Amino acid sequence: MILTKLAFKSLLNRRASVVLTLFTIAVSVMLLLSIERIRVDAKSSFSNTISGTDLIVGARTGDIQLLLSSVFRIGHTNNGVSWQSYKYITSQRGVKWSIPISLGDSHKGQAVLGTSPDYFTHYRFAKKQPLSFSAGNPFSTIHGVVLGSEVATKLGYKLGDSIIISHGMGNTSFHHHNDNPFEVVGILNPTGTPVDKTLHIPLAAIDLIHGGNASHEHHEHDEHDEHDEHDEHDEHDEHDEHDEHNNLIGHPKQITAFLMGFDSPLYTLQIRRNINQYRPEALLAIMPTVTLKDLWEMLAIVEKILLLFSFVVVLVSLLGMLTTLLANLNQRRRELAILRSVGARPWQVFTLISMESLLTTFLGCVVGCALFYCALLLGADYLQSHAGISVNIAMLSRYELTLIGVIMAAGFIIGLIPATRAYFYSLSDGMSIKT
Amino acid sequence: MVNQTMISLNNVTFKWHKNDETPTLTISKLNIEKGQHVFLHGPSGSGKSTLLALLAGINTATSGNVTLLNHTLNTLSNTQRDIFRADHIGIIFQNFNLLPYLSPIENVILGCQFSKKRQQKALSHSTTLSNEATRLLNALGLTEQYHTKNVAELSIGQQQRVAAARAFIGNPEIIIADEPTSALDTQNRESFINLLFEQASNTNSTLIFVSHDENLKPLFNRSIDLVSLQGAL
Repeated sequence: MILTKLAFKSLLNRRASVVLTLFTIAVSVMLLLSIERIRVDAKSSFSNTISGTDLIVGARTGDIQLLLSSVFRIGHTNNGVSWQSYKYITSQRGVKWSIPISLGDSHKGQAVLGTSPDYFTHYRFAKKQPLSFSAGNPFSTIHGVVLGSEVATKLGYKLGDSIIISHGMGNTSFHHHNDNPFEVVGILNPTGTPVDKTLHIPLAAIDLIHGGNASHEHHEHDEHDEHDEHDEHDEHDEHDEHDEHNNLIGHPKQITAFLMGFDSPLYTLQIRRNINQYRPEALLAIMPTVTLKDLWEMLAIVEKILLLFSFVVVLVSLLGMLTTLLANLNQRRRELAILRSVGARPWQVFTLISMESLLTTFLGCVVGCALFYCALLLGADYLQSHAGISVNIAMLSRYELTLIGVIMAAGFIIGLIPATRAYFYSLSDGMSIKT
Repeated sequence: MVNQTMISLNNVTFKWHKNDETPTLTISKLNIEKGQHVFLHGPSGSGKSTLLALLAGINTATSGNVTLLNHTLNTLSNTQRDIFRADHIGIIFQNFNLLPYLSPIENVILGCQFSKKRQQKALSHSTTLSNEATRLLNALGLTEQYHTKNVAELSIGQQQRVAAARAFIGNPEIIIADEPTSALDTQNRESFINLLFEQASNTNSTLIFVSHDENLKPLFNRSIDLVSLQGAL
């Protein structure tokens, strides 16, 4: 149609200002889409961090603090859970599995988690996915360490490497335990969760690096339980697995927290209530899914401010377009008069001008989407490694398409202003040329 | 050839605003026949532009009838007048006639882009619209090297030829030229007017040529002095 052609040619003729307008719109579209994509993916990364765990139990503190320390390795709790309490609670009816975890140590800034081999069988993330190994196996000796995928890639470790784990958090720990090297026995596949940034060692090894003498304690334990060497020799086959398990867990006095799964969700609330009223020790049990939601709601204000900002940027870019269109319009009254003289109706003049703004907005959105994908491709790795957000480089979601639709609609509506003005110009000026 | 009335004005008055005391334009009777080349002259402010706006159907008479080709313009709706203009009238302005973002050829084609009738007539001369535009531009003395140039690179004389080609494409019955030569030098002026005559005769169009330059008067077969025309009421 002639009007479309005229709109195109006219835009092309004013390409300098049009390109600038288009670029502002494109950048704002990119910004809005990026913020929205990151927000949505952050939310899902966030809620994907842990799943399949019914309760997390730790020393009494805030719900969110317990979640942050046990799952996100952010902050730390000073108190722990005594081993007796752990043993007692996990022996209750309905407990399907439990994973003790002990945090507080680090290796080159990466968190070290002491746990039992159950961790590798029962821990779930995202949609109840289990952990899987890209190389090696779970630890089977006290000196085995299993690395999260990111620890392995970032620090360049491979199976068989031996590493030193220090006491305390942070890179610059002075208290190195050079006499206790660990051997990398397994590397996990990426999960997009803090697991990737974690080194997993046997619970017993935590005591070891803290200067405790695991073998000595073990010996004592043997005496108490009357497991002398003769017994061990006699009943070697029966005790082999049991001993190995014991070796890996050792005899910790306390752990940071523990995760539990139940046979039926019906137990969750009951056991949670029992734990929260547990007499011998002040404990707290949280349901991770609920607390994750609470935590996200706390962050919602930041999220909303970001969204607001990106909308303001879009609005500003559209107002920029309006300014340019209105400024140009006065210079284009001659053009409108020529169009009228060859028989263009005022509504056709109106259509022409509004089509120009629609085209500009449309092209702005297209370029914006292209920029968005460039930014995504460039930034995805960074976000994954620095913020733990696994950004999805997928097609535009229906929500994102709606956003673009809203921008297009806004651009169209704003374009109606100069178009209306052109309509009235062409009525009042007619063919008389005014400049 | 039977003389056929192309344009007739009867007891026409025009006021810009309803409450104006004296009308800007008062014409009791004016008839222009088909194929005439009319020189319409008068000093500034004598109502030339107003008359042209009435003839082109941009404005409508406050009283009286303006009839073109047996259509009484003041009884038509705004849209009908716009369509009538697109179909039957070609217009040449004083200067800056062209859309800067179209090539000369495209500017010429623009003349029949808003009218199916003119498009059909143009296609009866040539196979495509751009062929017809090329033919007209050649006939008006603009050589092919200029046909696809940026219009800003053309001289004013060349631009006016493009504008004339746009007015003539699709053979509109009436050509209105509003001081088309005032920006040209004397030599160009006459050759341009002669080209207009040639084209108008070819298509048997009625040409209304407005100017305040009375030196051009002898070139035309009829001249109308707007001052005396208005005074006649």
